Amino acid sequence: MRSLAGLGHPSLIAALAFAVIALVACALGARRGRADLALAGTRALYATAGFTALAALALLNALVLHDFSVEYVVNYSSESLAGGYLVAALWGGMEGSLLFWTLLLTVFSAVAVRGARRAGSRLAGWAGAVLAGIAVFFLLLLVAPADPFTTLSAIPPDGNGLNPLLQSPGMVVHPPLLYTGFVGFSIPFAFAIAALLAGRSDDSWFRSTRRWTLFAWSALSVGIVLGGAWAYTELGWGGYWAWDPVENASFMPWLTATAFLHSVVIQEKRRMFKVWNVSLIVLTYVLAVFGTFLTRSGILSSIHTFTEGPIGKWFLPFLALMLVGGLGVVAWRLDSLRGENRFDSLLSRESAFLANNVLFLAAAFAVLWGTIYPIVAELVSGTRLSVGPPFFNSVFVPIGLALILLTGIGPLISWRRMSRGAFARVVRVPLAAGAATAIALWVAGVDSTGALLAVALCAFTAVAIAAEFARGSRIYRTRAGLPWHSALVRAVSRNRRRYGGYVVHLGVVLIVIGFAGSSGKVERQAVVPQGGSMPVGDYELVFEELDSSTTDEKDVFQATIGVFRGGERVAALYPQRNLHRAQNQPQSEVAIRSTPVEDLYVVVTEFDSSGDAVIRAFVNPLTWWIWAGAAVMLAGMVVLLSGGSPRPAREARLAGVPEPAVATR
Amino acid sequence: MRRSLALAAVAALLAAPATAHAAPEDVANAVAREVMSPYCPGVTLHDCPSSSAQEMRVEIAEWARDGMTKDEIVARLEGEFGPSIRAVPSGGGGLFAWLLPAAALLAGVAAAFVLARRWARRRPDAAAVAAPASPEAAARLNAELDRLRAES
Repeated sequence: MRSLAGLGHPSLIAALAFAVIALVACALGARRGRADLALAGTRALYATAGFTALAALALLNALVLHDFSVEYVVNYSSESLAGGYLVAALWGGMEGSLLFWTLLLTVFSAVAVRGARRAGSRLAGWAGAVLAGIAVFFLLLLVAPADPFTTLSAIPPDGNGLNPLLQSPGMVVHPPLLYTGFVGFSIPFAFAIAALLAGRSDDSWFRSTRRWTLFAWSALSVGIVLGGAWAYTELGWGGYWAWDPVENASFMPWLTATAFLHSVVIQEKRRMFKVWNVSLIVLTYVLAVFGTFLTRSGILSSIHTFTEGPIGKWFLPFLALMLVGGLGVVAWRLDSLRGENRFDSLLSRESAFLANNVLFLAAAFAVLWGTIYPIVAELVSGTRLSVGPPFFNSVFVPIGLALILLTGIGPLISWRRMSRGAFARVVRVPLAAGAATAIALWVAGVDSTGALLAVALCAFTAVAIAAEFARGSRIYRTRAGLPWHSALVRAVSRNRRRYGGYVVHLGVVLIVIGFAGSSGKVERQAVVPQGGSMPVGDYELVFEELDSSTTDEKDVFQATIGVFRGGERVAALYPQRNLHRAQNQPQSEVAIRSTPVEDLYVVVTEFDSSGDAVIRAFVNPLTWWIWAGAAVMLAGMVVLLSGGSPRPAREARLAGVPEPAVATR
Repeated sequence: MRRSLALAAVAALLAAPATAHAAPEDVANAVAREVMSPYCPGVTLHDCPSSSAQEMRVEIAEWARDGMTKDEIVARLEGEFGPSIRAVPSGGGGLFAWLLPAAALLAGVAAAFVLARRWARRRPDAAAVAAPASPEAAARLNAELDRLRAES
């Protein structure tokens, strides 16, 4: 059936034209102080977003109407593809995912610049120019080498269908969230560059984009977790993170963005780290684009080859421009970015934040180095090498543990300076909790040093955070005479940024507990005939039954696995091994029995000709806590995003600036 | 010395789960985690969902049952598929892979420490104005700061 796809390419050309107009008008308007040009540029930015949205709607319409005259529709969908996955096909291939990326970019740009103009920000013009420049690059890709509207002369009766691995509810939301995160960082990046171009060395750029930064970071965080959940439930290897290059590509900007979210607090509170913060946001954005480059260039071997294409080479000059241009502007304005304060003491919250930043940056560098090392080694020695999970785990475990320790220390330590005696007093209880936890686990039979250390540090941090909540609640209970729970709610609602951050940290603690559990993982594999059984951990798995059925998409072969523990049948699991007919691709559907103590994870990797099942079974302790921790993190993000700007008086006091003389009671 | 201890601790953390049990299946699983899959780009043999990888895991389990150690199996796979089969490069190339992140971390920590110390020392004005007159005054000041901190 013919669709609105014919509108797509002209819409992209129109969007490109308006993006160029927006770039020129915004830049000239900002440079010459011409309000009329700035307004024209902003309106051109709206038009860019509008035409990009029209192009995206045209492609969506072609997918929904199965318009197989469009090559993209043939490559990534089929007549039998279910409704939700037709929408997911929009970002299931390289051209569509670039269009979706550009849609997010142009809409975010229009909204952010509109908001800045309405707030009277002087940065709107330059920020609009930077964002329009980025949009020009992506729209150029879409009108030339990555056109999603290429048509076929011979129209096939059906499409190839979407990769079966992508046909999962998690995959409907995981890529859009990652893209939202990646693209979202373009807003603080653009405003940081705008501030430098405009010669503004104050913190207006990150105050006006604080919610965008948090929003992008939150979306990226949730996207990464959902990617892990998708890998866990779909790929059938019993894990959630494989240090695959494309996973690393999403993790690197997350690490630098997390460093930025922490170090920006020092600039807010103490007006320090200005160069560091603009450099971090430049780095974060460059790493986000680098991730897109990795996904699409095919330069590194990755299981994420869904969106690979020939456009990787286009990204290299763009990446170079962003990095050299961004850091070049920072260097140009270096004199105006000097901090207005110094450290008062090494034992201060500033030092804890600095250590936090060093660790996050070291982690980001280690991930980057491990990811690109195969290319470097091949260039230098001509020998192809691999860098896989053992490398990343061994580098990341000590850094991660140190970060958890700092997460606990951070809330306990004062701004500016703290005496050693006072520090010793405040860490006493959390330290005792950590030590007691380690001893209790050791007595209970946990013998992994890493797991003991990790959980002990988690206990330390959790108690430190709980003490902060207790302190907040106590103050409102004493001052306002409220019951403790109302006092706690009052404390949180009046200090959403602080307590939202603590809730996020609490979520991280739960996630690390889940990671620590993996040291007790048990894995078994066996060929099991119908009626036969296999042991795994404390369980006995009995292959009771094999059922087969057929759907529009696939042939389904489902095993009934009886789960026995201590001779008692405690559950039944139903793993599947299916054949997706359109792609002639077999795929396993995992069955999981999840409890807070452990997951029993069963996957049938094959049914042989006699009907025997090749079963891989895992007992994964504490994995449930990873998803619970992610939910807690999400709750913390909501609290954080609902918080306003910091109180100016307190910030000024911490920054050493005299407060205005205001009569107060 | 400290660095050696730290490296030994890291090695212990990683080695503990893999070597705690010597059952052939555990040896096979440990091997599968330390070699890349020739069939799935970018993931280890352990994590690769393809049926060819499944067959290779079964074959490795057979070798382990025949008494081959983890190192022997990895060496045999390296002979068959080349050095890129190792999930962590060995020899000089491997050393370089490890050294740079470690050097970056150490350099970062050292730079941060030196800078923070220098910044903390360079406060002649603040020191002249704010330095307490006596240890008692310093103790009172610290107590007051702690009280304020507790209330903030």
